[in-house]
Amino acid sequence: MTTNEDVIRFDRATIHYRDRVALHDITLGIRAGEFIGIIGPNGSGKTTLLKAILGLVPPVSGSVRVFDCACERLRCEHRARIGYLPQKDLVDPHFPITVAEAVMMGRYSSIGLFRYPGKADRAIVSEALTAVNMVAEAGTPLGELSGGQQQRVMIARALAQRPEVLLLDEPTTGIDTPTQHAIMELIRRLHRDLRLTILFVTHDINLISRVADRLILLNTRLFAAGPPSDVLRRDTLAQVYGKDIVVTDHGAAPYVIVGDHHA
Amino acid sequence: MTYEIFTFGFMQRALTASIIIGALCSIIGVFVVLRGLSFIGAGTSHAAFAGVTFGYLTGVSPLGMAVLFGLGTVWIIHGLYQRGIMKLDVSIGMFYTFTMALAILFLGLMGTYNAEVYGFLFGSVLSVTAEDLTVMGWLASGVLALVLLFYKEFHFITFDQAMAEATGIAAGRFFFLLLNLIALTVVVSLKTVGALLVFAMIVIPAASAYQLGRTMLGMMGYAVVFGVGSAVGGVLLSYRFDLPSGATIVLLATALFFVAAALSPKRRTRAIVARP
Repeated sequence: MTTNEDVIRFDRATIHYRDRVALHDITLGIRAGEFIGIIGPNGSGKTTLLKAILGLVPPVSGSVRVFDCACERLRCEHRARIGYLPQKDLVDPHFPITVAEAVMMGRYSSIGLFRYPGKADRAIVSEALTAVNMVAEAGTPLGELSGGQQQRVMIARALAQRPEVLLLDEPTTGIDTPTQHAIMELIRRLHRDLRLTILFVTHDINLISRVADRLILLNTRLFAAGPPSDVLRRDTLAQVYGKDIVVTDHGAAPYVIVGDHHA
Repeated sequence: MTYEIFTFGFMQRALTASIIIGALCSIIGVFVVLRGLSFIGAGTSHAAFAGVTFGYLTGVSPLGMAVLFGLGTVWIIHGLYQRGIMKLDVSIGMFYTFTMALAILFLGLMGTYNAEVYGFLFGSVLSVTAEDLTVMGWLASGVLALVLLFYKEFHFITFDQAMAEATGIAAGRFFFLLLNLIALTVVVSLKTVGALLVFAMIVIPAASAYQLGRTMLGMMGYAVVFGVGSAVGGVLLSYRFDLPSGATIVLLATALFFVAAALSPKRRTRAIVARP
């Protein structure tokens, strides 16, 4: 299941989060350039999986290797190669920061201690803003933007790291449907143009199943990993979401309706 | 008021002290206001005062003891928080009162009334000595140099500490360093503004600047203007009308806050946005 070409490799990894088992015995390899969708109910360990890749939570047993480096020992320059978009929380609307400054923060780690952003960093920031179509807003206070625009800025910040891997945690949650589709389209384009390896955590199975190369179905353990058509089967999904699940053939990809799985 | 007062040595020292403190407190205050750390600074000021009283009681350098108590409290509070033993505000609340109790105990043990000690409680800018100024100058320069050196790291953790950590910045260490710098700022300002009011000098000018600044650097600029303005203005007014200096400085800073809040463009945008 894992090969030497993997950029990310979980090998029988068990990971605790706040003294509880969040992920148990995960073995998984992710190749460079793959677009991975990570699905599963609330509390199934999706976010912890991303944090483990970032080296923020070390495995208690087994190993997690990123760029062929033990993740908890990832040095800063390695971590800078992973762009991360955490679950959106509320930005203080009056925090004094402009869009360009927020994106520049993506450069801080690479710039290193005792040094200030230079011309090259500013060029990368404007490139990142161009990629998300937000150049005109560079000087605007971040708090004045809409939720969808702020999300674009956060994607630009991740891009300013010049990442090889992009970890996205529910980037389309809490924004309106047209904006969701626009952001999805943007991520798809970045994946194609920049050859990024993408791990996309979401609740929205139908949104991700159309774009992901592979889906990973989590619920503390790894229940399935494979092409959407293989993972989105009623019997597979029912193990995680319970019996209230309907899978229909809706054009090219299966369409999934999940019942109340939060209980 | 004539220009003659500027020729008095005590007034020159008082104004120099005001400028140092006005600038230092305002810059540190920007981080305190944006990161929501007001309470920790207030707690530190009581700890530093306990250090001063301990110094007078035992005959050791009061300022040195203030540094020791101030930093020591920050280390303990941070340690409790980091180990998940206590929420930050609870451990601060505990030490806030614990150190004040120590100060009252040390004052009681001294037996006799010591005007100098009470100067540290209420602030006595007009009694600042040349030696005080030297110590203040060095400490303030040290704090400001560290802010300048790690400006971008402090900027990031103030905005989003979790994200800073995820990109590989030693966010936890910088947060701890920031707490130490807050404690040192309190100690530097203790004699001039007094333990009871020192935290106003950190919070109020930065809060006024928050109403006006569009970037963190811009906010620092405004904060320094407000901080130095109210410190220098407060000293002159207190001399002219024979008022307690610490109180005059803080009341002036508060008045400026309301002016800034009234002029705030942020408030205007919010009003515009709120309209249907």
